[in-house]
Amino acid sequence: MNWSDVGTLAPIVIAVLTAAAVLVVDFAAPGRRAPAIAAALVGLTVVALVVLSLAGHTETAFGGAYVVDGLTAFLDLLFVAIAALTILFANDYLEPRGLPIAEFAAVLIFAITGAMLIAGSADLLLLFVALELMVLPGYLLAGFARNDPYSTEGAIKYFLLGSFSSAILLFGLAYVWGLTGSTRVTDVAAALARVATTGSIAPGLAMGLAFMTAGVAFKMAAVPFHYWTPDAYQGSPTPVTAYLSVGPKIGAFAIALRLFVAALGPLKADWLPIVIVLAALTMTLGNLVAITQDNVKRMLAYSSIAHTGYILVGLAAYAGGQHSGISAILFYGAAYTFMNMGAFAVVTALQRRPGVSSQISTFAGLGRRDPWLAALMTLFLLSLTGIPPLAGFWAKAYVIVAAIQAGGWLTALAVLAMLNAAAAAFYYLRVVVYMYMREPAEAAAPLSPGLLFRVGLAVTGVVTLVFGLFPAILNVVSNAADVLKG
Amino acid sequence: MSGLPILSLITFLPLLGALLIAVLPSSDPNLVRRTALGTALATWALSLVLLVAFALGQAGFQFKETADWIPSFGIQYKLGADGLSLLMVVLTTTLTWISILASFGPIKDRVKGYMVSFLVLEVGMIGVFLALDLFLFYIFWEIVLVPMYLIIGIWGGANRIYATMKFVLYTLVGSLLMLVAILATAFTYQAAHAGSWAGAFDYEKLQAFAAAGSFGHDFQLLAFLALFLAFAIKVPMFPFHTWLPDAHTEAPTAGSVILAGVLLKLGAYGLIRFAVPLYPFAAHTFAWPIIVLSVIAIVYGAIVSIVQPDLKRLVAYSSVSHMGFVTLGIFVFTATALQGAILQMISHGLITGGLFLLVGVVYERTHDRSIAKMGGLAATMPLWSTVFGFFILASAGLPGLSGFVGEFLVFVGSFTYAPGIALASIVVMVLAATYLLWMFQRVAFGTVSDFLRGLGDHVTDMSRAEFATLAPLAALIVLFGLFPSLILDFLHGPVQTFLAAAGAAVGG
Repeated sequence: MNWSDVGTLAPIVIAVLTAAAVLVVDFAAPGRRAPAIAAALVGLTVVALVVLSLAGHTETAFGGAYVVDGLTAFLDLLFVAIAALTILFANDYLEPRGLPIAEFAAVLIFAITGAMLIAGSADLLLLFVALELMVLPGYLLAGFARNDPYSTEGAIKYFLLGSFSSAILLFGLAYVWGLTGSTRVTDVAAALARVATTGSIAPGLAMGLAFMTAGVAFKMAAVPFHYWTPDAYQGSPTPVTAYLSVGPKIGAFAIALRLFVAALGPLKADWLPIVIVLAALTMTLGNLVAITQDNVKRMLAYSSIAHTGYILVGLAAYAGGQHSGISAILFYGAAYTFMNMGAFAVVTALQRRPGVSSQISTFAGLGRRDPWLAALMTLFLLSLTGIPPLAGFWAKAYVIVAAIQAGGWLTALAVLAMLNAAAAAFYYLRVVVYMYMREPAEAAAPLSPGLLFRVGLAVTGVVTLVFGLFPAILNVVSNAADVLKG
Repeated sequence: MSGLPILSLITFLPLLGALLIAVLPSSDPNLVRRTALGTALATWALSLVLLVAFALGQAGFQFKETADWIPSFGIQYKLGADGLSLLMVVLTTTLTWISILASFGPIKDRVKGYMVSFLVLEVGMIGVFLALDLFLFYIFWEIVLVPMYLIIGIWGGANRIYATMKFVLYTLVGSLLMLVAILATAFTYQAAHAGSWAGAFDYEKLQAFAAAGSFGHDFQLLAFLALFLAFAIKVPMFPFHTWLPDAHTEAPTAGSVILAGVLLKLGAYGLIRFAVPLYPFAAHTFAWPIIVLSVIAIVYGAIVSIVQPDLKRLVAYSSVSHMGFVTLGIFVFTATALQGAILQMISHGLITGGLFLLVGVVYERTHDRSIAKMGGLAATMPLWSTVFGFFILASAGLPGLSGFVGEFLVFVGSFTYAPGIALASIVVMVLAATYLLWMFQRVAFGTVSDFLRGLGDHVTDMSRAEFATLAPLAALIVLFGLFPSLILDFLHGPVQTFLAAAGAAVGG
């Protein structure tokens, strides 16, 4: 290691320092929430600025194990945004319940550091370590409301299945290492390219591929590896759920990009059928089960499974020969982050008073109680449905474009995705029905979310609209995706 | 052509009004109402300017506006109008201000949200008729959905939530498949142009491409089916019509007017503008099944109307029957029939819009729509009964009124194509007279029913404001009935283009 490595790693170093600073600030001013929040937000802003200043040229560190390129920069910024939004939304939920914000912010930033490390991993071993760094704090966050039995139950389920899937992934990585003799992504890809030309793949490699697919599918909550999701999402404190539904999911797709696309790209014809089946199952089952949910958090959990399915269509399109599938994945990830976090934020606002459930009936009459909140929720839900001209529409459109261009079975997958989107309208619009077409159960007081919370909501709402009206932002994404062009 | 982007102005003026209303205080509903009406009237006036400025003899699209929107996919912001889109836009702007005026009394709750929804709805509807980029068309098409969903769901009748969900789900299934077909079409074009996306969504370029027979036959069959499904649900054609009676019955009066007057026309417009000219081979291949479905819709809609116990439901099913003439007129591919179909679209918008307004007037006073409870309204509401009688006769196809001309032209046009089909559909004119006049007799004549007697003084005759919403419609019905050439003059260009495009299949 030398000093230039530290320069390349600067965003990650600063993120770790930010987490530490938050704890120090909390130690210096115990019991006060504002300084810790301020420290976290300032630190994250610095990270974002450093990422931006490094963007534009490719650098490597640690002999090529870690790489900073356009893709890393894009994902880093997205992860920083996720962390910042989560912190903006969290205090309104944690404070009334007497839960500390400093520990929350610090643990969250550690998790994001792991995600950022995944984004730049060019080595299988580093990829695994980074993954663990991302998910371990996630278990803590899921169980953050330690007096709430549901939170504990969700955290334990998440932890057990999460460790299990990490082990499976590691097992798969070991096979690949054994058969290619290297953990460096470029070497693995080169070795596999030789294998791919010979026509048949060794049984050991097939095993490795299967294990890795299962491991990553667990992390992204693809059917049939999704069972931990609904319980973990419903039990976790709502801001944590918001984070879990986007952070680790996009982290898992970052693994898919660095592992399946960069390292296993030469074998893409072999994993294409698996991804098609996974995508079809994931979106269909996610949507069908979401329709039956009466709890909005659980409904959004299943809806996030369905969205995993749509994103997988982008991965399948890549494997089918369309590089635009990658930029579709990245755009989808960004759009999904903002609209989904916005939707969870509204749930958080409703649950500000401890004891309020996330049943759909709590949304009754929100249109009268708080017109702005209801209007924003409608915006997020319409975007999740995929109604133009909102972010979620373009996300779906780009995925579908890539799939139709790839042709063959992928056209059928595109049609299935659209039918799913129509079915999804049912459960998203059901919330709108409750907000506008039913009267509130009791004479409920208007909600008064805090200032930070409003800032966060404004950001998610504006981004959902801006991505929708100016989708040319995709150019940024496709530049980031070009990194993976072999 | 002057540099003024008049089409964009017409399209987005209602949005401007909606934004203005959004910041008005909700404590003053009258100000909100007047602003909405003012916006709608201004939009209407602009569309009339367009009507005057339109060069009749000229083929192709006029007032074109083009700007790049998403260059990497060749998606443009492109608007343009020919005679067909122009007439549809004027129909939309006319019915919108009438609907808004008609909502002054009935809508008392959340007036602001209602008016904003209505104006956003107008943006979507006008945009659909003017868009010359397939992607832009799709976006406007979807924009229509959301406000209508809210209008039915929030301000509708007792069973509104069921009705509005059904409406949304039916429409979405169709439109999302249409999106896949649009993208596949663009990709086919792109692949044939060395991977360049330029013009891949441009309607005029795609149409030229289709006219050259460049879309493969298998591809056409699939793409046409997807587009056809989306449009057939919207028209609605038998057997995709089941959302319509529910949506119509539960929607507030003005919602029903727009639903029948404009939204159903979106489907027919899509068939004429996109489905047939882009995929002529498939259109010819599927013409017979579609003609058969149209005739079924004409007959079935009429028979079912006879037994409807609810005034609105009766009008809704009669729409299924009347719109059957439109799809029949499109798919026999003759100039006369297509002219008839388009005339029928306009006339149905005026007549059915009026009928819904009239039912709304009674509903305001009685809070009931069941035919069985009415009776003797001619005695208590003489003016209303007279106007209602006029619209009933127009709907039944009385010669001299616009409804007759449209159906007659479709009949003549399809007779040369297939006499049997034409005869079967003309029998329906008798059925229409049956269900309409029988309903009118039960509602207006006889002794005043006990139900109405019980309401006493509440059953007052039509007010002047209510009459003001109906008078323009009645005037237009007479005008177009006596001088159909007023409309037909606009249609020479579009009809010739359509037939040329549809004829391309025979060669290819």
